[in-house]
Amino acid sequence: MNCKLCSALFQEFLDNSLSEELIVEVQNHVRACSKCRVSLRTYTVTVTLSRKVDPPCCVSRETLDRLRKIIRENFSKSRGAVV
Amino acid sequence: MSKKREKQTDSDLVREVKQGDPAAMEEIVKRYSNKVYNLAYHLTRDAHAAEEIMQDVFLTVIAKIGTLTTEAYFSTWLYRVTTNAAYGYLRKEKKFSEQTPVEDIDQEQFLEYDWTNLPDDVLLSEESKEVLRRSIDSLPEAMRTVVVLKDVEGLKNEEIAETLGISVPAVKSRLHRGRLILRQLLSEYFSKYTEPSKEKE
Repeated sequence: MNCKLCSALFQEFLDNSLSEELIVEVQNHVRACSKCRVSLRTYTVTVTLSRKVDPPCCVSRETLDRLRKIIRENFSKSRGAVV
Repeated sequence: MSKKREKQTDSDLVREVKQGDPAAMEEIVKRYSNKVYNLAYHLTRDAHAAEEIMQDVFLTVIAKIGTLTTEAYFSTWLYRVTTNAAYGYLRKEKKFSEQTPVEDIDQEQFLEYDWTNLPDDVLLSEESKEVLRRSIDSLPEAMRTVVVLKDVEGLKNEEIAETLGISVPAVKSRLHRGRLILRQLLSEYFSKYTEPSKEKE
């Protein structure tokens, strides 16, 4: 495996969607090649940080109640029912 | 909300909404409000705008759910409506960040810097988070959307392809290039803390 192919497989490697054979090839290559080893590490941590930068949050109770009210009213109107 | 509702599939709920059942619509709001809000927030970086977009998205669901022919694709349709609404907002408000030209990306330049061993208080400092936010926002729109859907929202490649109406290979290509750009921008930023790697072959 060369460096270009190894780098092209990083995404599937992280997704665990490579065949056993290719996983071993990537692992062997990064073990032997310091540039690809650093490249895989920084690629992996970039993905991890993207997940952590703004963790999902919940809509406040107040906002959700307001949204439900609007949806209820508009749903009734759209179906021609009495609100 | 009853346990029965919670166990229903999206397809069941969509069918019942089409038949005019308000309780099914309530369950959809309950199930998806946080997801819609988070996606809108991560694309606009504006909590107030994200709330408005969330409201508009569910009103669009009421108005257009009859046009959804395949009930099983409800979630990806909802993400598409949300993405379109978020970019509509950004265009209207002219809030696009300056985009990083893809051709300027030099993958070789920073590969010798291994910044992954920096302590968490550096990697996850407010400053580095802000650098990453700005970097994500500076990606070309097509790449940015895929990166946000995959790496921030956690969707699968197949769901992203369905949401955006593109092929799975196109999703993978945009994602990989987007991640490489982010990696380079982070490497540039973190290089102030690190020495070139001393590792030998």
